[in-house]
Amino acid sequence: MSVAPRITQSALSEYYSETQCNWCDGCGNYGIWTAVKYALTDLNLHPWQVCLCYDVGCHGNGSDKLQGYRFHGLHGRVIPFAAGAKLANTRLPVIAFGGDGGTFSEGIGHLVHGVRSNYPITFILHNNGNFGLTTGQASSLTWQDHPMNTSPNGISERTLASMDVIFALNPTFVARGFSGDIKLMTRILKAAIQHRGFAFVDVLQACPTYNHFATHQYLLDKYFDVNAAGHDSGDLPGAKALAAQDQDRIACGILYQREDIPDFYERLTPRRGLETTCVEEVRKYDVSEYWREFV
Amino acid sequence: MVHRISIKIVGASGQGLNSIGAIVAKGLKRAGYCVFGYREYPSLIKGGHASYQLDVSNQRVQSTDTKVNVLVALNHHGLELNMEELKPEGVLLHVTPGWQFPEHHQKLIQERRLRVICFPIDAVLSRLGAKAILSNVLLTAFLWAMFGLDVETLKSLVGEKFAKKKALLELNRRCVDEGYAFLDPQEGKITVELPTPNKDFSTHLLITGSQAMGLGAVHAGVRVYAGYPLTPSSPLLSFIADLENRTHMVVKQAEDEITAAQFVSGAMYMGTRALTATSGAGFDLMSETVSLNAMIENPTVFVLAQRPGPATGLPTWTAQGDLLQAVNTGHGEFARCVLCVSTSQDAFDLMPIAFNLAEQFQISVIVLTEEQIAEALYTQEPYNLQKAEIQRGKLVTNPEKLKALKSSDRYDPNAEGGISSRWLPGYDAATYCAQGDEHDASGTVSEAWSNAKRQMEKRMRKFHTLKSTLPQPYLNVTLHGEQGGHWIDENDEIELLVIGWGSTLGVMRDVMFSEELRSHKIAYLHYTYLWPLCTAEVQRLAERSKRVVLVEQNYQGQLGMLVRMECGLDITDKILKYDGRPFFYDELLTLLLARFGRTEVASVVISQAHSRGSAAERAGL
Repeated sequence: MSVAPRITQSALSEYYSETQCNWCDGCGNYGIWTAVKYALTDLNLHPWQVCLCYDVGCHGNGSDKLQGYRFHGLHGRVIPFAAGAKLANTRLPVIAFGGDGGTFSEGIGHLVHGVRSNYPITFILHNNGNFGLTTGQASSLTWQDHPMNTSPNGISERTLASMDVIFALNPTFVARGFSGDIKLMTRILKAAIQHRGFAFVDVLQACPTYNHFATHQYLLDKYFDVNAAGHDSGDLPGAKALAAQDQDRIACGILYQREDIPDFYERLTPRRGLETTCVEEVRKYDVSEYWREFV
Repeated sequence: MVHRISIKIVGASGQGLNSIGAIVAKGLKRAGYCVFGYREYPSLIKGGHASYQLDVSNQRVQSTDTKVNVLVALNHHGLELNMEELKPEGVLLHVTPGWQFPEHHQKLIQERRLRVICFPIDAVLSRLGAKAILSNVLLTAFLWAMFGLDVETLKSLVGEKFAKKKALLELNRRCVDEGYAFLDPQEGKITVELPTPNKDFSTHLLITGSQAMGLGAVHAGVRVYAGYPLTPSSPLLSFIADLENRTHMVVKQAEDEITAAQFVSGAMYMGTRALTATSGAGFDLMSETVSLNAMIENPTVFVLAQRPGPATGLPTWTAQGDLLQAVNTGHGEFARCVLCVSTSQDAFDLMPIAFNLAEQFQISVIVLTEEQIAEALYTQEPYNLQKAEIQRGKLVTNPEKLKALKSSDRYDPNAEGGISSRWLPGYDAATYCAQGDEHDASGTVSEAWSNAKRQMEKRMRKFHTLKSTLPQPYLNVTLHGEQGGHWIDENDEIELLVIGWGSTLGVMRDVMFSEELRSHKIAYLHYTYLWPLCTAEVQRLAERSKRVVLVEQNYQGQLGMLVRMECGLDITDKILKYDGRPFFYDELLTLLLARFGRTEVASVVISQAHSRGSAAERAGL
């Protein structure tokens, strides 16, 4: 098996699926879905050369709307599945997708350990500020004082400062996209997929049906590309400050990246110097050398 | 007749009784004895009352006697708590100078003609300038002399342990000489006679069930292991982790059991062989993942190491209480396979088999073990490495065949036996979605009634295919101490049919060949494959048996419940144990002997209302 580049250039059409999209009109998922396909094609990856892992939520309904080796699993649990898949075959780019509900509520522990472990995978957060698929309940990223399904008076909890959480974990790649700017997202995703360790990509996305606070127009008016504005993605304090600021302008682009930290797989002593993947190593092993100490 | 000797070392956790046990066990094994080691210890690191018992014979022994020939008490609690376990003429070795035995114990010493030796540990240690930890070497050396074992063997064993530390090695050797030469002023030279050794055992392995399972997993081609520490699954995690630099496996201590389950599921989806192990509490957390794997038809293997529940229960004790959990875990209806290991032999053998079944049927296989098997020390013949084969079922890897695949082959509802082609991410072929929602043949979500029905029937067809291919339960027959054939013919009548699973196999085999039972015709039907449950054999044998008894280490008789559910056979005579302890040799022997002393015969009734067997199965009744 190999994922050696083929002579033939990957084409957007290879990712075409006959399955019709069923997201709401104006849903941010259309933009993210398109940018993912652009990024993969730009990196000259054919569908058989990628593994796309989906959490459960509206974004997960995109699992059958494109080609690629895909997986659509449990709510909140996509990161450890994607990590296990990646470590079994490090030659394949593995991209995990999750919503803000699954990622910052049920699965937040997996996110914490995923970033901490610096698994060599890309994680794309479909951040629409609510549980869309279960009809508009508040997530931990929903703003206070906005009535939601099951919280008609708004949430009593405080909104989680998601970027503060991420930066507290010593990430190696943090970016933010906006579902209304496919070109920017494509640039971010290409960098994320090529990143050495765990790439966290927060995509602010419109949810026209349930999110009436951070709407498409709201995000469109406020977002800007920090890289175009001259931000140095190696500047950690600058990145944190940009990530936290969301009142007047919303900073998008590659906020922070460092490539000098080995990823999880590189840090596995037993794997050093091995050319093969765990997938290729499945065979019967002679274990007699391991039982000598028992005689 | 099997001549067996029992040696029990008792004391506080952390006093080093395991190291005495381990080194004595190895010495006896190398001298040509079969040793079975059994540990009892509380769920704490230091203190508490713990024990390490060795049952020794020149024939196979895989059980523990509650009566012992030698008791080594490393503290006075052992004298108070364990003295009554000594057999007549037994040896009591203790380290508490000036200990005043209470009156009832003095009487016991007299009645049973016990030989009592006090080893002045502290005096000897201070004379040698040795630390307290070396008391273990002194006592081991004394036991060595008592069993008449060669002192040089012990020195070489000590040498293996301290080869790198020269100064320690020298002191250890002096402790060996001191301990070996010690004579009790009152008792003089004490000897405990061992049966004639059988040199075959000297080349055997002394191995725990966990280590056996770990070796089996590596042998089976497992390349990724993820787990979260939980007794009694932790020894497997430790063993695999300790080997990682030699096996070059990916070993991950996960942040929780859900992570471990998802991690290995991802690795299996990608196409390697990956394993996780946990106990009941952790398996609760993994159950959603088991259900997911059923939907995406992802082969996976889970080890479920049983201990008594509910909740944290008895963390370091044993049980067979999670059979129904394994059989029923996860929401929705789906095919899965449940097996249980019984000794160090099949703890190894079943690992390749579990992975083969998982990949051939694209299902989850749950391999049960027990605290008793996980931590017991077995004398094990070196494993046959030719026997296992790596079978990966309908996995397509040939480039030409891959080219011909369509996305809709992955979950083709018309696939023979419900088993469709499987191919791996990264291979140049049509892609598909491993879809957790109900899906069509390519993994595209479909909520159509006709598709839902087709896909459910496809997945469940695998259950029936699996059931028709699983081996029947294993039959042990004994008459006049001879191992009988595995077949009981039309004319045979069995005096007692015993049905069990898991660690019951080891103790049951020892009991069957005991002097007391050898004249009876006893059949022991051992279930390794517990789900799907094959019942034709149990029905056929029950029909020919005067008496049937179920032996299980749980409260409800869970295997009995499954047998009744599957074929209507209701085994009313049950020997059930649920106190955290395994069945002991003399205990099970007594319980079975009582079956011959009784007069009532109708121990088996068939519940017509519950009869669900096939026509062929019913014909056997």
